[in-house]
Amino acid sequence: MSATTLGLNHQRIGAVVRRQAYVQRRGWHRWFDVAVWPVVDTVIWGSIGLYVDQQGGAARSGAAYMLVGILLMHVLYQSNIAVATGFMEETWSRNLINVATTPIREVEYLAGIIIVGLVKLAAGLGMVTLAAWTLYSFNLLEIGWAAVPIIGVLMLVGWCMALYVIGLVLRFGTGAEILAWGVLFIVIALSGAFYPIDALPDLLQPVSRSLPSTHAFEAARTVLDGHPLPWDRLGWAMVGLAVFAALGVGFISRMMRVFRDRGYISRYS
Amino acid sequence: MGVDLRVEGGERVALLGANGAGKTTTLMMLLGVITPDAGTIEMLGHLLPHERSTAMLGVGFAAGYLPLPDKLKVRELLGVYGRLYGLPDPDDAGDRALRRFGISPLATQMASELSSGQRTLVGLAKATMHHPRLLVLDEPTASLDPDVALRARAGIESLCEADGTALLVTSHNMTEVERICHRVVFLSHGKVVADGTAADVAAQFGRPSLEDVFLHLASEEL
Repeated sequence: MSATTLGLNHQRIGAVVRRQAYVQRRGWHRWFDVAVWPVVDTVIWGSIGLYVDQQGGAARSGAAYMLVGILLMHVLYQSNIAVATGFMEETWSRNLINVATTPIREVEYLAGIIIVGLVKLAAGLGMVTLAAWTLYSFNLLEIGWAAVPIIGVLMLVGWCMALYVIGLVLRFGTGAEILAWGVLFIVIALSGAFYPIDALPDLLQPVSRSLPSTHAFEAARTVLDGHPLPWDRLGWAMVGLAVFAALGVGFISRMMRVFRDRGYISRYS
Repeated sequence: MGVDLRVEGGERVALLGANGAGKTTTLMMLLGVITPDAGTIEMLGHLLPHERSTAMLGVGFAAGYLPLPDKLKVRELLGVYGRLYGLPDPDDAGDRALRRFGISPLATQMASELSSGQRTLVGLAKATMHHPRLLVLDEPTASLDPDVALRARAGIESLCEADGTALLVTSHNMTEVERICHRVVFLSHGKVVADGTAADVAAQFGRPSLEDVFLHLASEEL
């Protein structure tokens, strides 16, 4: 038996990583998420920013705002989608029963798809950075170390969102899969990835302020304006994240209980 | 009383009943993926659901109706499951499991491109590669050609005889059940209605064969 840490079995986590790696290697459509969409998004938002700059009316560099926005949006996107679709791969291939009847524990399975998600996140961010540099001569690394805690917060928000999505799929079946993308884009819109939240309708601003991702995007814009990293904003983001994560863990635990109590596994037989 | 079932080490038990009798649900409860409304489940000395992970180290499961996952070659698939079962040399264990069922040439084929018979045999290789103490099979030979069904049965029997593996199997093939199993348990409406050897159960219902008992209970189920 392999060594364990915190009760997690490394070999079983490795098996999940291995399984996901095979799927990634042979599923050409899976490369769109990590290689194609990041470049497409960079071109769309980078060009919009550049166009605004060319009009000469903006006090700040529109292209820089957009490109940093797209980089950080992809942190949220990649971390959420990689984990949610990693789980959904088992439902799509009707493999859930096979996996669920092995010794693997839920937390080990989640750890495996999170590790794969980290690799895909790094690849996606690398593509945005490369595209911004080659197509718009903008070096996203100029943000410096301030990007690390900001990216960390957004990555954790993305994983928490994936917990909600997986919980909904367990409870409502494959029909709920659309939420993986739907919820993500709602959060992105409300978080002000590309604009200050003052630009949102008054009605939506309180909702926006309650999201941890909003404070991370705001912190990034502050740094981009040449100010030091606003730790108070990140502090609020962390508080929001702790609440969001606690609710997410509670939600998925409840949904797994419902899944077992009502025998929803039979949906995948 | 719903289902009160005990399988001894090395014993081969068939769980029988018409569609909807509760066979698959019972198996899923024993495997820890469905929670029973009441009662307790002890698997290989471990109480479910809390000790499910440890218990499943000694259990293998395959179902004839399940596909194999997409985008994996057969050897890769077995390698993944060997690791999930904590085997020290999962790739070698996978190759040995394929040999047991006479399907070594399938190792390099994509799992999703196999015929239904080949898929079933690979599923059985997956379920037996870690030499489980209990093998749980749900309709393992459903819709298989007789020659493939024979190969599946031979592989299962060789494992049970060599390792003393206990078997809990559902099937609609009464001839196969009588050939493999020591004991049959009939379920109807989620309850055990008969438990004994095939001959005892047939006698209990005053029917000449297990097949006739099945038809009798199936007509009641409707």
